[in-house]
Parts: sequence; structure tokens; C-alpha cells
Amino acid sequence: MNIEKSLEDGKLSLKIDGRLDTNTSPELEAELQLDGVKEIAFDLTDLEYVSSAGLRVFLTAQKAMMACGGRMTIANPNAIVKDVFDITGCSDIFTIV
Amino acid sequence: MNQSWKTFAWASALFYAVLLAFIWSALTRRAFLQTESMLDYALLDLDSTLNGSIDTMLMHVGESIADELGGARPLSSERAATLVAQRDIDEVNVFDRTGLNLGSSDPRLPGTRIGDNSKSAPFMMLTNGVRHAYSQPFRAGAHNPDVRRKYVGVAFPNGDGFVQVGIDESHVTRMFPSIMGFIFDAWLLGETGFFLCADIDDGHLISNPARHRNEARFLAETGYDPNDPRVREDGKTTFRQRLFGDLCDCRAVLFCGHRVIAALPPAEYYATRSVYAAVMAFVLALVLILFVLLFRRIENDSNCLKAFYAAEETARAKDMEIAKTIQTSALPVGFPASAHFRLFAAMQAAKEVGGDFYDYFPLDDTHVSFLVADVSGKGITGALYMMTAKTLIKDTLLALRDPAAALTKANAELCRNNPANMFLTAWVGVLDIETGTISFANAGHNPPVKIAASDHAPPGHPAAAPPRYLTMKSGPMLAFMDGITYKLRHVALEPGDTLFLYTDGVTEALDLKNELYGEGRLLETLRAIPAAEMEPESICTIVRATVAAFSAGAPQADDITVLALKYVSHPQVFSRSFEATREGLAEASAFLDELLGPAAARSTDFALYQRLLPTLHIFLDEIGSNIVRYSGASDFVIDLELVEEPRGVRLVFIDDGAAYDPLSHADPDTTLSADKRQIGGLGILMVKRMATDMSYARANNRNRLTVFKTV
Repeated sequence: MNIEKSLEDGKLSLKIDGRLDTNTSPELEAELQLDGVKEIAFDLTDLEYVSSAGLRVFLTAQKAMMACGGRMTIANPNAIVKDVFDITGCSDIFTIV
Repeated sequence: MNQSWKTFAWASALFYAVLLAFIWSALTRRAFLQTESMLDYALLDLDSTLNGSIDTMLMHVGESIADELGGARPLSSERAATLVAQRDIDEVNVFDRTGLNLGSSDPRLPGTRIGDNSKSAPFMMLTNGVRHAYSQPFRAGAHNPDVRRKYVGVAFPNGDGFVQVGIDESHVTRMFPSIMGFIFDAWLLGETGFFLCADIDDGHLISNPARHRNEARFLAETGYDPNDPRVREDGKTTFRQRLFGDLCDCRAVLFCGHRVIAALPPAEYYATRSVYAAVMAFVLALVLILFVLLFRRIENDSNCLKAFYAAEETARAKDMEIAKTIQTSALPVGFPASAHFRLFAAMQAAKEVGGDFYDYFPLDDTHVSFLVADVSGKGITGALYMMTAKTLIKDTLLALRDPAAALTKANAELCRNNPANMFLTAWVGVLDIETGTISFANAGHNPPVKIAASDHAPPGHPAAAPPRYLTMKSGPMLAFMDGITYKLRHVALEPGDTLFLYTDGVTEALDLKNELYGEGRLLETLRAIPAAEMEPESICTIVRATVAAFSAGAPQADDITVLALKYVSHPQVFSRSFEATREGLAEASAFLDELLGPAAARSTDFALYQRLLPTLHIFLDEIGSNIVRYSGASDFVIDLELVEEPRGVRLVFIDDGAAYDPLSHADPDTTLSADKRQIGGLGILMVKRMATDMSYARANNRNRLTVFKTV
């Protein structure tokens, strides 16, 4: 997995490339330093799939944003990722753009 | 039940009545003819007797005169008159040998000569010295036609002329009572018949049967009526008169001034008619009753037989039905669902049940056995023997896993217990699903046909090898001979190849001209099947249809059984073992990439499997991490199978950790908002919802979780 990250005016942008699973989700978790962050934007264009381990990372981030009145968006999930979101009810929680 | 014997009885009674009427009329006719001939004979006899008596009397008179005269000498009229008076006759003449009248009682005659044409000419015979006497019947006289006179001539010795004496009929009439009465009384007419003789003029009876003598003196008193129109006194006509109270058949004749009546009471002959009729009626009745009884007996017997046969037929039909039920119920239901082979079979029982059966059952995950057999016996016995054989073959095959060894053992068992001397042919095969090799043994069964897949023809070859019979040498029939060892043989199937099994009901089906369907025709039928229809079910259907079309109209003599097995593909199972650690999980993930990643690309079909790779990774991540984290397993195995039917991938996770069935746990609530969400349990939920099929089993202290996902 490869993560491209940029932080600008409290907006954290993350482009995740590859697979988000048990093995790789700790890396993403490590990248999410949310002090002063008001908005997180995930670009999942190149995300191959996400397992529940990766999903947990997204959910943790969503909770953090809700706690500080911030916002989280997920862009361009592929069919499988979208499927996982749908199955787990995360489609209703996440803001998918 | 049919009772045509009654009709027969009525017909017999009618026949009897008609026959009796006929017999009665015949007997009546016979009795009448007998009566007539008796009367005829009696009158003839009487006539000759009466005439003969007068002749004899006149002859004696002539002789005595001839003696007295001593020769042909002239006779004076006085002496002639004296002779006539003495002898109580009416005329006497003496003639010399030239026929010259030498003397006569008639004064006109002396000196006359008997002319050649005279009525007396026959008397000249007396002058030749041969004939002694000659008699003439009564006839009218030459000089006095009112007088009927009879002449008798007696020759002198040495042909020296003759004496002629004559007597008038009226004279005889006068003498009749005295000279004839005794004749009538002594005369017999049959046993009960009698004569009546009465004077025509006064009706005085001169004769009367002894038993009636005192009762009647005149003809009228007997009951005879000459004026009755029936009466014909010509001596030739039979008529009936009531005489002395009895109705008699009569003939009458007038003779010398007398009426002579021959009478025969009908009782004499008609009594025998009644006796005959009664006897014949009795005998006929007896015969006809016997016939009727015999007919009834035969009919009863035939009805009994019919009923017996009907019952027998019903019982046989019932037997056949039971046998058919046994036979049909012995057949396996449903066909094995496998991605690697397809099997179809059908049995069409003949009306008279044959003993065909087929069977198939898995020996284990990678071996399936199938067989076709034909038992020789029919009916319930055959069906039960079929059950025995089927069970025996299945049991030995399950135990020994080798068709040849199984048939060898089954044969020994079948031979040991075969009271009905039945036998069967069987072809038993075991398909190795992984390799496509069929090992088989044949006990006298028809050789199967191998149909090679057309798409296996090497490039440049026009077509696949045509269907061919597996003509490897067969062993003997089962239950036929003890101590047989069957040989194991092999045939390799490539994916797409089909093996077709059948019983002789196919090849020995007959058409209306009694021609066999035959092995050649079967081969042609199989060859003509287009590649698209080269599937077990359609092969069986087509063969059955062509057999049915071939033998259209002819009764099905034997069971028709077909079984086709198509080897579809080698299974694609890949298996690897991993340590139950995070590293092991990473290796497993790499294993998936290795199998289905872009580098593994093989064919267009394969790309379909490759598309499942992300989903498979999710499954592995969820299930694998559960095993690694929670199960306490030391390692785990992943079986990955590329399934063709339905196309998809099957993942099997086997671990030696604590028993845990993820399917038994409730799903987490996915409708809760993020802040209320429990983290955890989501992984299994995802797998459950994404998988096409999922199952869990615990065996040999291992968890075995199978997840299948279609493309």
C-alpha cells in the first residue's frame, strides 16, 4: 500500500493506493494525525479493496471528525470498496463524493 | 358367467321334438306298409287257395270219371247226365286225341272239335302224354254269357284223349259255405288279423273268427259297411273299418258270390310303432340329456378355466407390477452434481419386466462409481435377485473400492446363494475425478462406447476419432460360475470425452420385420449427435428416441437402459499450508496473487476467476486474521478450487484451533450511527454477505470453513 498525504488549512488529503487490510491498515492509522484537522478527504481511486481492518480505520476517523465538528469525505471508491461500504452500512455514515 | 348351455338345452329339446315327430311318422308309414303287405299277401294266398281247392276238387272228379270210362270212347248223353248228377258238377266232355268231342252233358257239343283259336285250345296240351291235368279259371260261357264256368281237363293214360269237367261259379257259391268255411276259420292273418266271408246277397257270414263266432251271424253285425265310401272291394286298396269295435285295416275282394274281407287290427303293427317310438324317444332323450350335461360340463370347465386364467393373469400382472415397482424403486434418484463430470441414466422397463438396473454413488471426494447391469430372471424373483445383486455390488465396491475385486467377491457371494439359477451381466466403473481415468471390470456385459470430444482433435485432423466400442475382453457373467477372478481395466477420459453404457435392450430391440437394432446402428446414432448435444442427458434421450422409432409398432421385449458419463474437466484445486501468524497470513495473501494475479493469466476463462481476486483477499483477510488472532491454531491450510459449474472460486480454510463456527453468531447491527458502532464482527458479516455460499464443519479436531464466490 502506498499513501500520498497532504495537509492544508486543517484539511488532510489522503490518496490510498493498493490494499487496505490487516497488514496495511496500521500504516494508514499511523498517518492519521488529526490534531487541528477539520476535514479529511480520502481519495480511493487506486484502492484495490478494503477489509474490515481498513474499515475500522475509516470509522475511527469519521468518529473523530464528528467529535470536533469536522468533516470527512471519501472519493472514488471502486465497486468492491463501495460494496463493502454498502454491506456494512457504512455508506450511510460516510460522505461519499 | 356365460350360460350358453341353456340355449343348447332348448335347441336340443326342439331338435328332440322334431326328430320324434319324424320318427313317429316314419314308424307309422312303416306300420302301414307292413299292414298293407300282410293284407296283400293274405288275399293273394287266399285267392290261390280257393282256386286251388276248386281245381283239386275238379281234378279228382275228372280223374274218377276218366278211370270210370277207361279211355277215349264215345259217351252217351244219358251217361254224361248221370256222371254230372253223380259228381255234382255242371258239365262233362270227352275228347279224343284229335280234339273231337266224343260225348258231352251238353247235347250241342258231341261231334264238335276244339279249334286252334278256341278258348279250349290249351286243353290240347293234354294229348301229348306229358301233361296230366289242366285248369282254366272261371269265365263267361261261349253259349251263355251269364254263366261263368270253370273247366278242368284230365288226360287219359297214353295221351289217348281227355275228360273235361266244368262247374259254374254259382254252383261253387252254393257249395261255398260247406267247402270253404273251415278254410277261413283255420286261416291265419298275422297274430290278431282275421277273415270275414259273407254271402254278397244276404250278408250271411260263412266264416267268422273263432272269438267272434257267437256274436255275429251277418256281416252287418260286424260293423262292416259295403256302402262306406272308403270301402274299395278290389283287393288292392287298403281301407279302414271298425270291426267288432276295433278299427281295422282291411282289404276286400269279391269271390264266387262272396265278399271276402281280410282285416288286421292296427294294434298288431301299430303297437310295435308305439314301442319303437317309446324306446327311441327314451334313448334319444337320454343321449340329448347326456349331450346337454356334457355341454354344460364343458362350458363350466371352460368357464372355470377362463376364470382361472383371468385370475392367473391378474396375479401375474400384479406380480409384474410389484416387480416393476421393486425394480424402479431400486434405481438411484437424482444425478450427482459435480463440476468435473456429468452423468445421466434412464431405464425403460419392458411390459414383461426385464431385470435391468443402473447405479452410481461416490466412493469418496475424488472417486465416483457407476454401473449398468442386466439380470436374466423376470418377475418378482428376478426383481428380488436384482435387489440382492445391486446391494451386493454396492457393498463390495464401497468396501474394496476396486471394480474387479468387487465383482470377484460379489460373484462368489451370488454363486453361493442362487437357488433360482439366475445370472446377470454387469459393467462396473470407477471414475477418478482428478485424472479422468476410469477403472472398470466387465462381467459379460455389452461393451460401452467411448465418444471422444470433438474439440480434442489435434489441429490439422479433420475430426475427432469416431465413437468406438471398448472391446477389451470381458469376464463371464456374474452368478454363472464360481471362482472367477475379474480383471481390472482402464480407459482414460479427457475433458469432454463421454462414455456410453447400455443394456442389450438397446442393441437387441426388434423392428416389425424382426430385424435387430444392432451395435452398428447404435454407433451411427452416437456419431450423428452434434457436438452441442453431446451431453449425457441428450445422448440418452436421442438413443432412446432412435430405438423407439426403429421398433415402432413392435412390442418392447426387454428393458432398455442407457447411461452416459461425460468427463467435464480436471478439477483445479490448489492447496497450501501456512503458519497461523501475521507472516503466514501475508504468505497466504501472496499465494492468492500467485494463483490469480496478472502474472498467472492463462486463458480468457481464467480472467473471469482473476476478477474475484480482491474479494478473495477480503475473505482471506477476515477469516485468516480471525484464525491468527483468536483460534490459537498453530497453522492453517487454504484449499483454493477453481470451479467451472457454476463458475467461481471455492476457498476452504482449515485450522487446528479451538472450535469456532462464525456462522452461528449474530450479525452486528449495521444501521447504527458511527459513534454507537461496535468495532468487531464486521469482518465475518462482510464475508457472509459477499460470499455466494458459505459453510462450516468441524472434523478431526479441525475447523473447516468453506466460502464459495461465483464470478
